[in-house]
Amino acid sequence: MALQRDVIAPKDPAVDMSPNLNLPLSPAIQAGEFIFVSGMVAIDATGERMHGTVAAETRQILAAMARVLELAGSSLAKAVKVNVLIYSMLEYNNMNEVYREFFPVDPPARTVCGAKLCGGSKVEIECVALA
Amino acid sequence: MTGQLSRTVIEPTNPRLNVSRNANLPHSPGIRVGEYIFLSGMGPVDPATGGRNLGPIADQIRQTLRNMEHMLASAGSGLDRIVKINVVLADIQDYDEMNRVWREFFPVDPPARTTCALQLSNGNGVEIECIALSL
Repeated sequence: MALQRDVIAPKDPAVDMSPNLNLPLSPAIQAGEFIFVSGMVAIDATGERMHGTVAAETRQILAAMARVLELAGSSLAKAVKVNVLIYSMLEYNNMNEVYREFFPVDPPARTVCGAKLCGGSKVEIECVALA
Repeated sequence: MTGQLSRTVIEPTNPRLNVSRNANLPHSPGIRVGEYIFLSGMGPVDPATGGRNLGPIADQIRQTLRNMEHMLASAGSGLDRIVKINVVLADIQDYDEMNRVWREFFPVDPPARTTCALQLSNGNGVEIECIALSL
């Protein structure tokens, strides 16, 4: 029996950037027991890119990621692996301070890497969570 | 939970696309675990020669995605079964061009995706990895 592949498409511009930015990606895909969430950047309530400090972008992204997962019947507490991309590793601690607010106990496995991001975003975060 | 999941190596049917074996690199082209297929980062390798196609970025991306299609077909899967895909560009300025090519390959229900720019090996302009479901 092949596992089902379901697109998770929150009909909310504040958490789904793909229609507004006209991107050819799904916000998340559920496959079997897992939910794969696309790399998310900070966007405002209308779905436009929000540019702020690393702390502000991190907070906005993780709040939106929580909503995407909740719409799929999951939650941040069920995240198993998170990958964080930041534009400069000098901002590592600024990201961590906000990050720990969202994962107070038993945080997910995580990798952080400094990378060049599209559209002038400072932070991009993706995750794999249990459905 | 049922029994332990099996872990098997996936290799491309076309040996010229078996980069890790041909270049003696310590990674497998792909690993299948249960219903999931994890492919290594792939680049624009010419399936006829095994050499690198370092032409315009759109061609590099098309070549890489065709090679990924071949890898998935070799494992009994396909591009439409990809659930998560990661794109690494050498130059983030190629982001819009990448999106244009993307629509050719993923016209409906595209995979979840993350894109960033990092330093790549062998002068590649792009490297793409994915997780897919078997059929």
